[in-house]
Amino acid sequence: MAVSGIPFLEGRYSPTFDLWPIEAKEFNRIHTFYENLREGKFTTTKCKQCGRESYPPRVICPECYSDELQWIELPKKGKVKAVVEKLGGVPICFEPPLIDAWIDLGEGSPVRHVLSRVINCPPESLKEGDEVQLVVFEVPSHPIEIRRETIMAERVFFAFEPAKK
Amino acid sequence: MTERNACIVGGGMCKWGVREASYIDMVQEAAKECLDDIPGLKPKDIDGLLFASAFVGRRSVQANTAPVVAERLGLKPTSICARVDVLCASGSTGILLATGLVESGMSDIVMVVGGEKLYTPERWQVQYDEIAAIDHDWDSPQGIGPPPIWFALTAKEHMKYYGTRREQFGTVSIINYDYGFSNLKGHFQRQLTMDDVLNAAEIAAPLNLYDCCPLSDGSATVIIASEEKAKELSDRPPVYILGGAQTSLHSVTANWPGDHLGDWPHLRLAAEKAYERAKIDSKEVDVAQVHDCFSISEIIELEELGFCPKGEGGPFVESGQTKIGGSIPANTDGGLISCGHPFGATGIRQAMEILKQLQGRATNQIEDAAVGLTHNLSGVNVEHTIVIYSREPRK
Ligand SMILES: [Zn+2]
Repeated sequence: MAVSGIPFLEGRYSPTFDLWPIEAKEFNRIHTFYENLREGKFTTTKCKQCGRESYPPRVICPECYSDELQWIELPKKGKVKAVVEKLGGVPICFEPPLIDAWIDLGEGSPVRHVLSRVINCPPESLKEGDEVQLVVFEVPSHPIEIRRETIMAERVFFAFEPAKK
Repeated sequence: MTERNACIVGGGMCKWGVREASYIDMVQEAAKECLDDIPGLKPKDIDGLLFASAFVGRRSVQANTAPVVAERLGLKPTSICARVDVLCASGSTGILLATGLVESGMSDIVMVVGGEKLYTPERWQVQYDEIAAIDHDWDSPQGIGPPPIWFALTAKEHMKYYGTRREQFGTVSIINYDYGFSNLKGHFQRQLTMDDVLNAAEIAAPLNLYDCCPLSDGSATVIIASEEKAKELSDRPPVYILGGAQTSLHSVTANWPGDHLGDWPHLRLAAEKAYERAKIDSKEVDVAQVHDCFSISEIIELEELGFCPKGEGGPFVESGQTKIGGSIPANTDGGLISCGHPFGATGIRQAMEILKQLQGRATNQIEDAAVGLTHNLSGVNVEHTIVIYSREPRK
């Protein structure tokens, strides 16, 4: 984010000001979620004590407060229950069309629905009942200072796209 | 410990809209209006301050805001001095907390001030900052920081499950703009036809411009005091706070608690708890201020608050039940849709309108209004907050 006129900020990027999570292990104890995403896996945590599966992933079990959790996979395909498209006037950092769907991940999924963007999708084509699948993409990286060194933390995030027929 | 009754004594607000003023300027304007409404009250008599604001930390770069507000308002709080953030329900939350403090005896006279400066020097930031208004790491990256997309999905589901028609939620906007036409402190003073609503710019189909409340700069203030102090301070009939409730069952949209998006169990639960605490039922409410962030929201709220059967909010509004003379006049000062929505100040504006209604001095007066209710949802429908007011103390 180039900020002109404020020399101190010139060329600096503020990740605490943007819409993506700070995913790096130096700042986030569920960094495994993002590492799994890189491998194409959509995951969350399950309690080893009581078996509770919860989404989003956590550090403790929300049922019994055990901190002994394991990673499990979520379905990567779902069906569109409702869809909304914004063809103009989308929030800054998104490109039109901004398509969001309420997606049913099916019975037996630890989380029944997710709200997600649907990308790689022509406008006005997605409808209720359509099948969609997980898609992972890179989002802007940001610097992290570790002692005297600055490293670039790369980031990914997920959306869904129309399932390949 | 014996519990005392808490009363709302008076209130005031500044002009809302896109203001040439900072948050702390507007807070002073609203506090002056409030004390002008209670001629016997001096700043030095106020022992508690709750400042309701969600975005002051981000858009006005001010943490620990309560001492700043106290100082500028000439207050020297000795019982409480804190900021409250429940986004859209921050103001109502301040009122609930002040009620508890007064009922417990910890505070005697609490000023609850809400305020936001949402319009930053560059316009792009106004919507962009909404990424902080929802569950950041999970929902912001999906583009629903600005909430119309979420409520458009909600509208579609309500239409699908209950047969609600586009014109029915358009009616909400027309009625609320009609009420707001005479409210000079609100963001807008205009009237709408159904053609205006249906032909307005599309925000996220099926929602158009007039189905959405605007973001606004603004501030509002009320005084909550013990019954004894309230009677000392004002000759007007006392208005008691009977109680309320606040529920939160989820945060990330994926954990939505209802069977579908038109089903709001967290609001049903809040209503049940609030009516139980206030010892009334929904039929006893004479006037309501419900959170019309979007026209469709009001329809679902009227159902879940028990004012009409589930699924019948569309026909209920269409038949004029929220107008003067209807079974539950709602948003009688214009609501969020016409007055605007400076998050932290909204619940306080609603409380002021209920106060005026129950004291017989509202602009759009409901005859003999004795019990009033305010409701807010927060964010993309992750929390519900209800406060109930009455001319009589709790039974
Ligand atoms: Zn557990």
